[in-house]
Amino acid sequence: MSDLGDARRLVRGYRYADFTPGRRFDHATRRTVDRSDSLLFSATTLSLCPLYFDAEAARADGHPDVVVNPYLVLALVVGLSVEDLSEHSEAFLGIGEAQFARDVYPGDTLRAESLVESRRASASRPGFGIVTWQTTGLNQREEVVLRLSRANLFEVPR
Amino acid sequence: MTGFGPNLEDFEPGDLVRHGRGKTLTPVETTTLTHLSMNTSDGHFDAHRYSQTAWGGTMVFGGITAAVVIGLSMEDTGAAAIRELGVRDVRLCAPVADGDTLYAYSEVVSIEPRDDRSGEVVFRHTGVNQRDEVVFTCERRVLVRRRGAG
Repeated sequence: MSDLGDARRLVRGYRYADFTPGRRFDHATRRTVDRSDSLLFSATTLSLCPLYFDAEAARADGHPDVVVNPYLVLALVVGLSVEDLSEHSEAFLGIGEAQFARDVYPGDTLRAESLVESRRASASRPGFGIVTWQTTGLNQREEVVLRLSRANLFEVPR
Repeated sequence: MTGFGPNLEDFEPGDLVRHGRGKTLTPVETTTLTHLSMNTSDGHFDAHRYSQTAWGGTMVFGGITAAVVIGLSMEDTGAAAIRELGVRDVRLCAPVADGDTLYAYSEVVSIEPRDDRSGEVVFRHTGVNQRDEVVFTCERRVLVRRRGAG
């Protein structure tokens, strides 16, 4: 048996220097959302809108089933982009704008793609930089369900 | 669905409320929701590694902070929603640690009637922790049902 101390630590994801504005990322992992995902998320976040809990109420409103909580869709589309974009960042700073373009229903499969929007040195924190991306969430029919722009803080290696 | 409110007519620009419930973010829940969201950043789930950093432990994924603050407001703002339209100017102003407790405030920014059934309400949400430090702010756009509209 080799010495475990000799093992290389495998680390995934891209770094600050890789985020040239205009570069595109097609995030490989997709995720089928099922009813229990949305129920767990909605219940634990107290998201008390009947569209997310009550299939009869959702159908009465013209939906085929309960609606997947849009804030799960937001967390999930960001989540699917994290391995490529922000595992090496210091902090998720915020979202410029997120638009829920289309409802998501149980059984839909979501994927995400991103475009580097900007990269700049932090004005307030020397040695740090801020990257912004536009990320798009799409369903199995390639219909856009969510568009968002987000910003993360990175430590910039000297 | 007509039984759920508040409805469009119940909001006035400038209304500011603190929602009645707070919520403590337990590590079991935040790590579960992080994994449910497919977020692979170990700063949200490797407590051992992050206890040895300046952070002192795992931090809550901002997507969960947003959902909890908006969720704490949902019964009072979005129970009669037809749909959520979006959020903007989302600022994760301060780190949220596992074990923190969040409280939510909402202010009505604007109301724009759309048709006989609904109108768009813009809310400004603020999330604070147990020390009353602001950790989250955003504007949220919701399509809200009129009273009695199907």
